[in-house]
Order: sequence, then C-alpha cells, then structure tokens
Amino acid sequence: MSLELVDVHKSYVARGTHKVILRGASGYFARGERVGILGRNGSGKSTLVRLLGGVEAPTSGQIRRNMTISWPIGMAAGFQHMLSGADNARFIARIYGRSVERTVEFVEDFAELGDYMRMPLMTYSSGMRSRLALAVSLAIDFDCYLVDEALAVGDTRFGRAFAERIERSGLILVSHSPALVRKLCTRAAVLDQGRITFYDDIDEALATYHAL
Amino acid sequence: MNAQGELALVVRGARMQLRVIGALIIREMHTRFGRHYMGYIWLYFEPLLLGVCIGLIHAWRDRPMTFGPFEFHAVGYILFFVFRGILNRATMAINMNRPLLYHRSVTLPDVFFARHVIEFLSCTGVMLALLFGLFAVNGNLPESPIKMALAMIMMALFSQGLAFLAAALAAAVEGAERLVHALTYLLLPASGLFFLVEWLPEWLEEMALWIPTVHLFELLRDGQFGSRFHAQYDLAYVWGWIMITHLLGLAALRITRARIGLE
Repeated sequence: MSLELVDVHKSYVARGTHKVILRGASGYFARGERVGILGRNGSGKSTLVRLLGGVEAPTSGQIRRNMTISWPIGMAAGFQHMLSGADNARFIARIYGRSVERTVEFVEDFAELGDYMRMPLMTYSSGMRSRLALAVSLAIDFDCYLVDEALAVGDTRFGRAFAERIERSGLILVSHSPALVRKLCTRAAVLDQGRITFYDDIDEALATYHAL
Repeated sequence: MNAQGELALVVRGARMQLRVIGALIIREMHTRFGRHYMGYIWLYFEPLLLGVCIGLIHAWRDRPMTFGPFEFHAVGYILFFVFRGILNRATMAINMNRPLLYHRSVTLPDVFFARHVIEFLSCTGVMLALLFGLFAVNGNLPESPIKMALAMIMMALFSQGLAFLAAALAAAVEGAERLVHALTYLLLPASGLFFLVEWLPEWLEEMALWIPTVHLFELLRDGQFGSRFHAQYDLAYVWGWIMITHLLGLAALRITRARIGLE
C-alpha cells in the first residue's frame, strides 16, 4: 500500500500567463511513513497537496493511490463556514460512510471545542479550526493524512495528543516549518524548482532547505 | 478485470455517489434555512404563496373561461417555479460549495443533483397541497396525475441541463449570473405559463412550439384538464433538449472543475 508520484507536471494558465508549478516531480510514500515536504512560500506546496489529495489532476504524469488518503487538511479546506463544527463533522462522516454519532463524539472528545461545537465556523479562531479539521480527519481513520502548512496547534495538550495519535498512521506534511517536520516526521523532502528531492536523513533535508 | 468485478466497482461507485448526494441534501437544507422549522416551512410557502397570488390576480382580472383562471395559473406557476428555482440558484452553486470540493468524492454534478432534488421535492409537495386544496373547494380532480408528474420531472431535468450550462457560464464570465436572472424573467411570458397553444393565432402557434417549456405546460394542462381543450406537445422534442443540455452542461462543468482553483 502506497502513494506514488510518477513524473508529475502541473501548470496553470492564469490571466493569460502560463505558470509552471511542478516539472517532473516523482516520489514514493509507503503506508505508515511520516514524511515532511519542505518548501519556501510560492514553491507550489499547496498545489502539490491538492494533487496528492486527488482534488486536482496533474497536467501530465501519474499519481497512483493504493491506500486511503485524507483530503488536504488545512485551516478551512473541506469545511463550510456557515455551519457549526458538529454539522461539518456530520457531513464529512456521511460522505465517507462513517457513523455520524461516533464521529461527533470523537471530535467532541479530541478537539476540545466545548460549546463552540454548536457554533458556526466563522466564529472560530485559527487554532480552533485546525483542531476541528484534524479531529474530524482522525475520526474518519485514513491510512495516510495529508496536512497542508503549519498547523496552529503548537505545543499544546492537543498538539501532543495529535503527535501521539499520528504515530499510528501515515502522514505527509507539507510545510515551511522545519521544527514541525522534525517533530512529526521520520523522513523529509524538499520541494524546489518544481521537483521533489527526498532525503533519508532529516538533518540533511533541513540543511538543504536552509541553504535555499 | 472480469465483468463481475467491473459491475461490483460500478455498484460501489454508485453507492458512494448516493451517499455524497444524501449528505449534500442535508447540508444544503442546513445552510439555506438554518436549523429552524420556519426555514423548512418557507421552502413550501414561497412557491405556494407566489402561485396562489398569481392565480388570484388572474381569477380577478380574466374573463371566464372553460376552466377557472385560478387553477390554471396557480398550478401552472408551480411548474414554472421548478424552472426558476433550479436555474436562478445555479449560478451561486459552485462558489457556495467550493470548500467541499476538497473531498475527492464530492463532484460538481453532485452539488447540483442535491439542490435539484430539494427543489423538485418541495415543488411537488406544493403541487400536491394545491391540488388537494382545489379538490376540497370545488371537487375537481386532475384527469391524469401521471401526465402532471411527468411534466414536473421533465421540467426539472430540462432546468438541470440549463443549470449546468448557466453555472459554467457564470464561472467563466463575470456578471453572467445577472444575465441568467434577467433571462428567467424575460422568458416568463414565452414559457407557456400564461397561455394554451390553441389560444394563439396560427402564425404564433408554430413559433411557440419551438420553445421546449411550452410543450411541458401543455402536458401539465393535459393532465390537469384533459379533454377540456386540445393539447399540443411533442415529448420527443423536449427529451432531445434535455439530452443536449445535459451533454453540453456536463462537459462544461468538467472544464469548469479543471479551471477553478480551490483557493
């Protein structure tokens, strides 16, 4: 069981200009691996996450998905602002075919949102949104979690609970924060100039990233 | 892969798509009406109220005809509301649901299917209430409820094809949603809501029958009044429109999905 990228190219035409984001990115993610992908702002991290999550199609190349992969978990992706945390959790449980009650129960326990569970998402702080998104995705139970950008969870009780829980699953963390990658991942890669370079040694990846 | 394996895959995919559409229906009801019962009541009252008002205006103004102007216009308006409700809301559908496209299993057509099921069921409920009310007042029952139901279904399908196209257009061209709203009103007099084809002068009859909704209003009234007038409609013509708008509309949505960024 794995997720594999084979020579993936991605380009957009935005306002008449042709923008190339990925030029021949390849990579292999085995089940249970926790991989960090580091990239500077504008290096195409978000695009890469959307491609990995299958919400966008590559211009050319292949993405082979042989395990269940979460949606790209960011601050707001996949959630409806007008609905409450509980309603969002119910919706996501339904589309992934999970028990609605058990999902809401799990999120209530894990996300530490208290009464905010019944409030619309637009009243949430960024930390609360991160907690909700991560808790809902953990309730669905994927083989691999796809997490976009630095999560506003930090070294809190929730942050530690998340780090502990994620050790039992796979993780692909796309981030510009070396500290977060070091804390959560066992392997790291650097996204630069539209290509991904993998390093078995995290320190080597971080050194390359700092040198960019 | 053998045929059985392929069939299992199709069944699994269909089941997932139904699950997604079901979830979208519930979510759509919550975002549109909040979690209050008044919201759900409004879903029924909006078309009912408008239909009854239009019916009353005509009952008061029109000369007497073979059938009551109220039942003619009020029931007809519900059919028009299927068209209006589906098409007018189409231009906002993509933007309102954009965050949900982050879930791989949620596709653009699903978003529309869910909305159209709500629109169709609420209008059908209103239609039933209205027909029951008419029966209670003057004892009239429709001659063929099946023809009326078919008119509702075909109107919903035709509107759905147009809704795909309208949404794709609104995503590609800024301000197109205003054009769509204006068109639904401008088309109102030509839609067939206010006339029977046999009332028109001969030279207009042929022109009117180019318009697909005119056929559906004739079908509705054939079901409602039957032998009391000479209905003129060609359902094959309307099915042709339904098929073409669906083919073009689904293709346009596919292009739209590839073009819209998620952020």
